[in-house]
Amino acid sequence: MRERRSVEVSTMDAPDADLTACDREPIHIPGTIQPHGVLLAFDGPQPVLTRASANLGTILTGTDRIPFGRGLDEVLDGDRWRPMRDTLARLRRQSLDRPHHLGLVNLRNAEYQAIAHRTGETLVLELERMPPLAIPAEEIYGLVRDGAERLQAAKGIDALCAQAAVEFRRLTGFDRVLVYRFDESWHGKVVAEDRNERLPSYLDLRFPASDIPQQARELYRLNRIRLIPDATYDPVPILVDGEGRGPLDLSFAVLRSVSPVHLEYMRNMGTPASMSVSVVVEGRLWALISCHHAEPLRVPFAVRLACDFLGQMLATHLAAQIHASQAATRTRLQAVQARLLTEMAAADPFIEGLVQVPDDLLRLTGSQGAAVVEGGHCRLIGKTPGEAAVLAITARLATAEDEIFHTDHMAGTFPEAESWRAEAAGLLAIRISKLHASFVLWFRPEVIETVRWGGDPHKRVQGDSTARVHPRKSFETWKEIVHLRSAPWRDAEIEAAETLRNAIVGIVLRKAEELAMLTEELERSNKELEAFSYSVSHDLRAPFRHIVGYTELLKEHEATKLSDKGRRYIDVILDSARSAGLLVDSLLGFSRMGRAQLARIEVPMRSLVDDAIRTLEPDTVGRDIRWEFGPLPSVTCDPNMLRLAWQNLLSNAIKYTRNREPAMIEVGAFPQGQEHVFFVRDNGVGFDMAYAGKLFGVFQRLHRSEDFEGIGIGLANVRRIAERHGGRSWAEGAPDQGATFYFSLPASSVQG
Amino acid sequence: MAELKPILLVEDNPKDVELTLEALAKSQLANDVVIARDGVEALDYLEKCCAGKDRPELPAVVLLDLKLPKVDGIEVLERVKRDPRTRQMPVVMLTSSREESDLVRSYQLGVNAFVVKPMGFAEFFQVIQELGVFWAIINEPPPNSRKPQR
Repeated sequence: MRERRSVEVSTMDAPDADLTACDREPIHIPGTIQPHGVLLAFDGPQPVLTRASANLGTILTGTDRIPFGRGLDEVLDGDRWRPMRDTLARLRRQSLDRPHHLGLVNLRNAEYQAIAHRTGETLVLELERMPPLAIPAEEIYGLVRDGAERLQAAKGIDALCAQAAVEFRRLTGFDRVLVYRFDESWHGKVVAEDRNERLPSYLDLRFPASDIPQQARELYRLNRIRLIPDATYDPVPILVDGEGRGPLDLSFAVLRSVSPVHLEYMRNMGTPASMSVSVVVEGRLWALISCHHAEPLRVPFAVRLACDFLGQMLATHLAAQIHASQAATRTRLQAVQARLLTEMAAADPFIEGLVQVPDDLLRLTGSQGAAVVEGGHCRLIGKTPGEAAVLAITARLATAEDEIFHTDHMAGTFPEAESWRAEAAGLLAIRISKLHASFVLWFRPEVIETVRWGGDPHKRVQGDSTARVHPRKSFETWKEIVHLRSAPWRDAEIEAAETLRNAIVGIVLRKAEELAMLTEELERSNKELEAFSYSVSHDLRAPFRHIVGYTELLKEHEATKLSDKGRRYIDVILDSARSAGLLVDSLLGFSRMGRAQLARIEVPMRSLVDDAIRTLEPDTVGRDIRWEFGPLPSVTCDPNMLRLAWQNLLSNAIKYTRNREPAMIEVGAFPQGQEHVFFVRDNGVGFDMAYAGKLFGVFQRLHRSEDFEGIGIGLANVRRIAERHGGRSWAEGAPDQGATFYFSLPASSVQG
Repeated sequence: MAELKPILLVEDNPKDVELTLEALAKSQLANDVVIARDGVEALDYLEKCCAGKDRPELPAVVLLDLKLPKVDGIEVLERVKRDPRTRQMPVVMLTSSREESDLVRSYQLGVNAFVVKPMGFAEFFQVIQELGVFWAIINEPPPNSRKPQR
């Protein structure tokens, strides 16, 4: 026997004034066990005893001495251990990750069940004192079978949980069995209960997430059964042979001692005996079957196994029910979705399609209100906040990256949401386009709910003079009225919104692709048209030139031989051929304007206007023209083109004020949104706005050439020049009331 | 008095040839006019002017249409301006329309003038006459000693 011994003690740091400190408690290595049994740990290839609970001597050997360093066969010496040694020898060749029942053994006139498992390289043997079975083993089987059948028959999640509570109580004999379901934020709610009169009802009560801290939940998830026969116990330390061994991981030990905070919690609840069976659905701790007893109670291993089996069966049924219900919802929502998409495919713009079937849009997410927001415009359906509020919401959403956003507590994100609680306490939103800030939003009204907590959740920490953390003492129902919350968004509803988003984005992409193809085609055909008009003009020019040339020669050499009529014919031919040639030249100029590279420099716009007026001086001789100039900025542009634009606009103004005495011509500019607008206003003959659309077309004229000469290409040039610079052109006027011609350039090309 | 140098007119359109000859006649320019119908004929003629002579007997000026069969005007211009024997010879590019890239390219290649054929004969005559003054300055003897050949 070696002298050196140490005691494993779990040292809990002085906790913060919050039970979240419990999250840090290493509960899987408490260093102690519950006193209703003995724990032995063996290590090494020929396993020798390395650790044992301090009560080993009194229960197993009758002395205080602990046979550290002895082999397994030596420690478990004698015939009564033979069956267990044999079973262990067999099991050791297999997996021992989960505890195995090795059999019963009588020690000092008490029955113990031997349970073994392996943690890491260590073999852990536990001897747990057992009460005589209250029900014979054969009956357990019957109870499980019948229970399984009744679970199978239960329809729906609620019914399943209720039935499970009944079956577990029948099987274990606890006073009260709760089904304690976790919500998304790990708060618990008692959704089903079966009990006798010895313990009060906890049905519908909620418990804060901190009641079962994260690492406790993880332990529940791994080891599905946790048992405390008597919460008033004194823990028994685990002694270690020598130093240098890490603490023993008791995650799967049935005797594992639990946190003192938990024991206090149980005592406060008035339930010294408790057992928990984990219900793990698809890897997630979904609920606990929480069994309580007003007095200490032991549960035989066989019953615990039966409970575990039943618990797993419940989990399987729950998974199936959850799937079935999700599948049903999905199918229903898919039908709604299909109708929405059909509507959208037919609508233009397609997002309008959503508004065409308002009921389906609302049904998709089970909402009372919806909004479709696109490019600052907003369409409202059902119960929603006002348009300004909706636009404010989307403006906020637009700053985030999320493509889908949901909350059942808008006021938490949007403080102003309090004022629209009746329409929108909850929000589900999908982003269609990042570029154009387009969204679809759904709203849910406030649902005022009375939540009953098992004790005041805000007072779950109760300090005392020792500065130790204590759980709350009172589990009296504590009512809380929850405001500003909507019904929560279910997964299927969020999924439906997301699927709709993907479908819409798909449509957007397809439309964008179609548009890109169309643009490409347009550009190509435009280029072809340019090339065509250039080559036609070019080729037409030569014959016109020949007609003019030869006719002039004819006139020069042969005019005397012709009659007056003949000479007039020659003049008409010359005139017509010349104007045809002029048309061709204009068209070539126009075509060149479309093809030529822009040579941009910064130039004061006023200097271009002055240049243009100088060029037009011959037309203003003898006219009374009152010019008025507003301030004009400097712009970055192709000055030759812009000069030509001004020349065209001013030449028109001069021409169409010919009959005015005096003629008034105003030139000015002003910023407007993302553009800078330039204009020429005159008091001339004006035009009928009905023809405003035709003004800027090639060879479009609103006046007879007898009244006003010209070939109708000037404004087409202005438009082309403006468009080449990324701007627009338009006109306002009325017959005999003068006209104003505008063109704009992007604000980015305007200085100062 | 040195022999008056001829004018080389490179033009494929017979009507333009006739109108140009009319204008030259009207301008009282005395030079002979040699006509080439495409770029190859023009280059062949210029080669003959240079071949086997110490001092090439080149035309006073080349009136070169831009669009020509076989070898076009730009290429003729390029070859003329690249060849040290012909580099000094003035070349006037005549064209049906003002196409930016041709204009820029022609000036890059060292054309002496670029003329868009005007619509009317009267204007064309004027252009030819102005070109006549140009030759008169750089080429002696003065251009009124002999009538152009029709």
